[in-house]
Amino acid sequence: MSDTSVKLVLPSDPRLGGVVRGAVEQFAAAFGVGEQDCCMLALAVQEAVTNIIRHAYGDRHDQPIELTCCARPDALEFVLRDEGTAADPAQFCARPLGEVRTGGFGTHIMAQAMDRVQYERLPDHNRLRMVKHLGKVDRAVQG
Amino acid sequence: MKMATRQAGEAVILDISGDIDLESSPDLRKVLLASLQDSPGVVLNLIRVRYIDSSGIASLVEGWQQAKSLQHRLVLFGLTEVARNVLKLTHLLKLFEVYETETEALSAFSKTRN
Repeated sequence: MSDTSVKLVLPSDPRLGGVVRGAVEQFAAAFGVGEQDCCMLALAVQEAVTNIIRHAYGDRHDQPIELTCCARPDALEFVLRDEGTAADPAQFCARPLGEVRTGGFGTHIMAQAMDRVQYERLPDHNRLRMVKHLGKVDRAVQG
Repeated sequence: MKMATRQAGEAVILDISGDIDLESSPDLRKVLLASLQDSPGVVLNLIRVRYIDSSGIASLVEGWQQAKSLQHRLVLFGLTEVARNVLKLTHLLKLFEVYETETEALSAFSKTRN
């Protein structure tokens, strides 16, 4: 199987969360990922988009976000690009779970749903790459 | 996301449907905290909630905190597999009182009240 990719460019508008989730879910399903894993992948990408809206763009809702979904023979890769402020590395250090608090869950959800989460600050934009190995997901019943 | 409230004895049931995300969680938070202020028990019906993201989880935790401070009660039922997974991943599943059905949730509520 050769690589197949889909690119989605959208504004940092929270109303479009369903569009992001729908795109990721449908993309993963097209490559045989089972329903529950599709939902978790969509949720992880959604969490990353939420972080971009809140932190990189400071809740401005008209800034560009680019999502690329790529299917490789052994993995699905989701890359998010934004032009906001650089993320604070401390935000990627998961705060300890087990205490009752009202924030910081998104990072855990991303880390748990994906096999690899890599943040890069490039000269004029941020890039977040998330990878899920297909050998670790439930495959949909083909038929 | 849509929400509707109904009374069941002393408890208020919040029927939620749709996705709880960055867009909709402020509405959930507002209704949940107001309901907990007014009622000794709030039961969240999550049967029709497919997605709940970290902002939704944060709203639930705020509800739990308010219930605790008021000595009121917050009960959840009908968690979908994804919602349950998210609560597990964030180590919060054991924080909440969770039941499978509305009948079980209301039964547990009334038993403790009596």
